[in-house]
Amino acid sequence: MRSLIRTNEFTLAVIAALGFAALAVATDFNLLTAGTLDAFLRFLALPIVIGLAQMVVLAVGQMNLSVGVLTGFCAMASGWLMIDAGLPAPVAVLAALALGAVVGLVNGLLVIFTRINGFIVTLATMTILEGLRYGVNGTGTYQGYSPGLREFGQASLAGVPVVFLLAVASAVAVALFFRRTVPGRHLLASGGNPFAARLSGISNDRALVLAHTLSGLLAGFAAVIVVAAFGSVNASIGDDLLLPSFAAPIIGGVALAGGMISVTGTVLAAFLVRLVDVSQSQFDINRRWVDLIIGAVVLGAVLLGQFRDKLSGGTR
Amino acid sequence: MKTETAPEASAAPPAAEPRPPTRALPVWANPRLGLLIVIAVLVALFSSLTPAFLDPRLTLAPLQADISVYAVVGLAQLAVLSLGHMNMAVGRMAALSTFAMGLAYDRLGVPLLVGLLVGLAVGAGIGALAGLLIAKTGVNSFVVTLALDFGLLGLVTILYTWATGGVSFAVQPSGLSALRFDTFADYCMGEVCGPRIPLVVPIAVAAALGVGLLFRRARLGREILMTGSNPVAAELSGIPTHRRVVAAHALSGLLAALAGFLLAANNGAFSATIGESFLLPSFLAPVLGGTLLAGGAVSVLGTALGATLTQVIYKGLNLLQFSLEELKLYIGLVLLAALSLDRLRAVLAERRAVSPS
Repeated sequence: MRSLIRTNEFTLAVIAALGFAALAVATDFNLLTAGTLDAFLRFLALPIVIGLAQMVVLAVGQMNLSVGVLTGFCAMASGWLMIDAGLPAPVAVLAALALGAVVGLVNGLLVIFTRINGFIVTLATMTILEGLRYGVNGTGTYQGYSPGLREFGQASLAGVPVVFLLAVASAVAVALFFRRTVPGRHLLASGGNPFAARLSGISNDRALVLAHTLSGLLAGFAAVIVVAAFGSVNASIGDDLLLPSFAAPIIGGVALAGGMISVTGTVLAAFLVRLVDVSQSQFDINRRWVDLIIGAVVLGAVLLGQFRDKLSGGTR
Repeated sequence: MKTETAPEASAAPPAAEPRPPTRALPVWANPRLGLLIVIAVLVALFSSLTPAFLDPRLTLAPLQADISVYAVVGLAQLAVLSLGHMNMAVGRMAALSTFAMGLAYDRLGVPLLVGLLVGLAVGAGIGALAGLLIAKTGVNSFVVTLALDFGLLGLVTILYTWATGGVSFAVQPSGLSALRFDTFADYCMGEVCGPRIPLVVPIAVAAALGVGLLFRRARLGREILMTGSNPVAAELSGIPTHRRVVAAHALSGLLAALAGFLLAANNGAFSATIGESFLLPSFLAPVLGGTLLAGGAVSVLGTALGATLTQVIYKGLNLLQFSLEELKLYIGLVLLAALSLDRLRAVLAERRAVSPS
């Protein structure tokens, strides 16, 4: 029990619950009305998935700077498939997922073949994808595509938005992958100590490629959520996703050095960031205060984690 | 065509070789030479495609001004890359510093130089704060500066709204328009006029020289490099590594502030948007120039050449009527190609050298 209380996830869960309760009271329980709660959860889906997309590469000690722009590119590509190419929605959805995975695979292959730092490789692919994302339809907006897909994006199951359930499902899948499957364990081993991993017969290269591919796939999944839930897509999608993609795992207690992840922490952190976002719109606070607060929270979370590690004498 | 590369090229010596030359590496293994050739080829290509590229007043002078800004931006990143650290807040540090400059000009009416010094002090201060947080807590520099970037992003906009009610200062300190529009060709001694080089170029050259000398000749610079190369060994040799980390980050903030000032001079306004476009170029220039992310080695000349290359591509494609977004596509491809070639060259060079490090 004590070990549970001292985990980062527990702290985050308490803060999230307190914050949610405080916000509910402060808004005269407006937050708990069906409409507001629905919107709260619907727009929580994207930060969760984007945070997970970053987390899987952090697990092997890499970074993926292209994650936000890739989401935008996949969203634009599926918009193009539905509107300009006239293909049905399921094809466009699958194409977005496949495109994300392929770009992720390319990122991974570039990292292992050139031996260049993943930060730089994804910086370069981010720049390229920015150009491609714009190239799909210029500054134009895709809207009015498949009514079925948009209805799906607005649908709710027992009062909970379906896209949110999907995001949670993907989080569970990622958690199971890292906890129960052999490739997932290999990823963590390789991230924790590449040398030891190699000596135990794990291919570090394969782990890197797999992590990047998975990250791309999750970015593609985030694109599907955007296309379904937002109802329209344009070339600016993804611009404001890069920093939140790092904020969620870092607040959630994921180590940048690799080898350690926390799916629950990442999801809870995304929840917290969303909470700050909602308070901003509820109380009509200057949008910029939110950035300031999130910056302070990220730094605070990291310092707290460091402090806790020191207290427990590094016996983690 | 030497005009825009010559000042930096002749001014800043490479601060350190990427790896100790075990047995003199072949000439073609020098990444700086490769960059120089690529720049020359691109310049020849662009000028043959569009003669406007060689227009001294409309193209070359603004190009040199742009290179000056982004070379200094690259140096700001290089200052912490020397440690193996990153500064994700480089743009926002510039924004905060130019806000301080604008405020000083607007409210206190200080002369141009005093305002610049105020801004540089603010930049160095915020950089030192980042360095202090990193050194004291041992948290990854990426996380600290990313959080700082978030925070400053909010702070800068709030400050501008508070001080100006908008997003930029209306004030024009005397001398700013000279920095913006004049070249040395406007200053004549009798019949002899200067070359058509904008007034901001010497500032950037001086900065590059200063940073180059710091890392090559000064004790402080060498100790920063050693800290970056091997923190434990540095600590054991009696180097106060924490203070060196703070110093390198303060230098990064200072250079970011200088870059912000140069951009403000080029734009003719102290506004909240300054620094928004700094992050990517800040990594492009040093990395293209052969500076590693691992720390312990820097190349100031390479950074200047890297900035030159990117700006030549931007300018050239811009003249050929490419849109900004298309430009990004090509810049990214060039970066990947350059890095892959560099890797190939390094592998080949290592095979030739007897005992690669």
